[in-house]
Amino acid sequence: MKRTLSVMMLTWEFPPRVIGGISPHVFFLSKSLAKNGVKVYVVTCDFPGAPAHEIIDSVEVYRIDSYRNPAPDFATWVYLMNVNMQKEAAALAGKLADKIDVFHAHDWLVATAGIGLKHIFRKPLLVTMHSTEIGRREGTHTSTEKMIHETEAWFTYEAWKVICCSEYMVSHVKWAFGLPDDKLVMVPNGVNTHIYENVEKQDLKSFRSKFALPEEKIVLFVGRLVYEKGAHVLINAIPKVLGKIDAKFVIVGSGYMKEQLSNIVRSMGLEHKVLFTGFVEDETLLKLQKCADVSVVPSLFEPFGIVALEAMAAKSPVVVSDTGGLSEIVEHDSTGVKVYPNNPDSLAWGITKVLLDENYRNRIRENAYKKVQEKYDWDKIAQQTKRIYEAVLGAYSKSFWA
Amino acid sequence: MMRVIIFSWEYPPRIIGKLAEYISALATQLVKNKVETHIVTYHDFLTGAVEEANGVKTVRVTNPVRTHIGVLTWVLTLNQEVERAAANIYYQANKQIDLIDVYDWHFIPAAVTLKNALGIPFVYSVESLEDHRSPAANSPFNMAIKSIEWLGFYEAEKVSVKSDWMRDEIVRIYDVPTEKVKVVLPNTSSWIKEVLELYNAATGGLRNR
Repeated sequence: MKRTLSVMMLTWEFPPRVIGGISPHVFFLSKSLAKNGVKVYVVTCDFPGAPAHEIIDSVEVYRIDSYRNPAPDFATWVYLMNVNMQKEAAALAGKLADKIDVFHAHDWLVATAGIGLKHIFRKPLLVTMHSTEIGRREGTHTSTEKMIHETEAWFTYEAWKVICCSEYMVSHVKWAFGLPDDKLVMVPNGVNTHIYENVEKQDLKSFRSKFALPEEKIVLFVGRLVYEKGAHVLINAIPKVLGKIDAKFVIVGSGYMKEQLSNIVRSMGLEHKVLFTGFVEDETLLKLQKCADVSVVPSLFEPFGIVALEAMAAKSPVVVSDTGGLSEIVEHDSTGVKVYPNNPDSLAWGITKVLLDENYRNRIRENAYKKVQEKYDWDKIAQQTKRIYEAVLGAYSKSFWA
Repeated sequence: MMRVIIFSWEYPPRIIGKLAEYISALATQLVKNKVETHIVTYHDFLTGAVEEANGVKTVRVTNPVRTHIGVLTWVLTLNQEVERAAANIYYQANKQIDLIDVYDWHFIPAAVTLKNALGIPFVYSVESLEDHRSPAANSPFNMAIKSIEWLGFYEAEKVSVKSDWMRDEIVRIYDVPTEKVKVVLPNTSSWIKEVLELYNAATGGLRNR
């Protein structure tokens, strides 16, 4: 390649629009790719107050009008949003005149836009599957779920390569859509360790006092309050933990189970031990992760488990359920504690073990931090991703589309 | 020679209403008048190969997503296959497509994207409007279809209708400038001449490039 490689990222969320893990993923991947000499254009949904076009560290971000068309339901909204995303991305790619080498689309939420652009410009489409419908729902039961699943199957069929963030997801996606081995590549998700280093030690004391009493240990849960994230498993583990050690359970995030969960907490008489913060600002989240005596990820289904990685980067010891991507991130007794999924007794055991043994806690904390720096560094991940782009373009150059 | 792609969601042997026969007659007449005519349409299984009959080239696409929750999701996922078929014609024709003629709202998204990506102008040929099909309905479902119709009127080079009444309705409902809308009466001796005039107006005399 003589000239700069350029990629157009399609994503339905990009900061300041943050719904789940795709937003920070695309943000850090794009910035790190730019640092490694790749020209990145991001096309994403709009957000109140965010500009329609901006340049962040030489990454060009375009935000499209995503609520232009009224929609009867979420899935139909997604396809309608794609009409506008595809139109805007097409106009941009057309204007850049053959400058886009690769379209890189993240999850089914931008599937139709990505597929159309691939054929119209005859450029390779790369797909990152962050999750699957069949995994989220433990099967496909309704028409909507089947439709999304079939859209994902079509999306991965049209992709030149499908990138997954864990070995678990590679095998899951391979099974879910019947893909050949050589179409799948594993590139882990990354985490930034230096953003946690900047959090000042001294203001943490007063910050901490807003969430817990000095004698209470902080047990932190961060995630959407939806079934597969397993907040209900944590709540069921609380009495067992409190029998051994005093603690405050801080639950960060929002979701359709929020009301149900707070009702359970009330009926258990644990309102004074559980704090639902809702969605919090990045700054607050960073500090909470720094303060937490233990971070818990009790997911039932977890394609990757970025929250565990963030906690490890913040030097908070982690207790995770032994499932999906979490199984790969954490090595039991070395970089964290693994417990049985969907098992409150096992989870309570893990939390108690970490909270009661300071030496153990410090050991897994240090090991985890080293592991994060070694394996989950964004710069390394961007280099791996760039090599995939180059390999795909090498194969593409011999095809009749080139 | 002018090269045109027609997008229609019905075409023989798939006949839903009167549109299929109309497109068939139109394509035959266009070929007689030295317009290279491609049809991109939907069929459940007659897909893949290009059918050539009386000089008209037809590609039929189907929806890769088989389960749907409504006509909107069905239409919106079918559009990518329409784009793929149109792009194949475009590249095989050495990027020389003068015009897309799109019938009703179904394939407006594909026409709009192709215009923005490759600079191919399109004519929006209106058979009916959501406002008339579902009178006084303003649920999000109906509004979504109306917003696609609006997008079509906004992005189209020209709008084609079959009656003065329809022209006035489009001007009334969507605020489309009257001069953008051309009435082409079928079943008259000047019909195909008027279609060709419309196509020429929409391409701005591009055909001799």
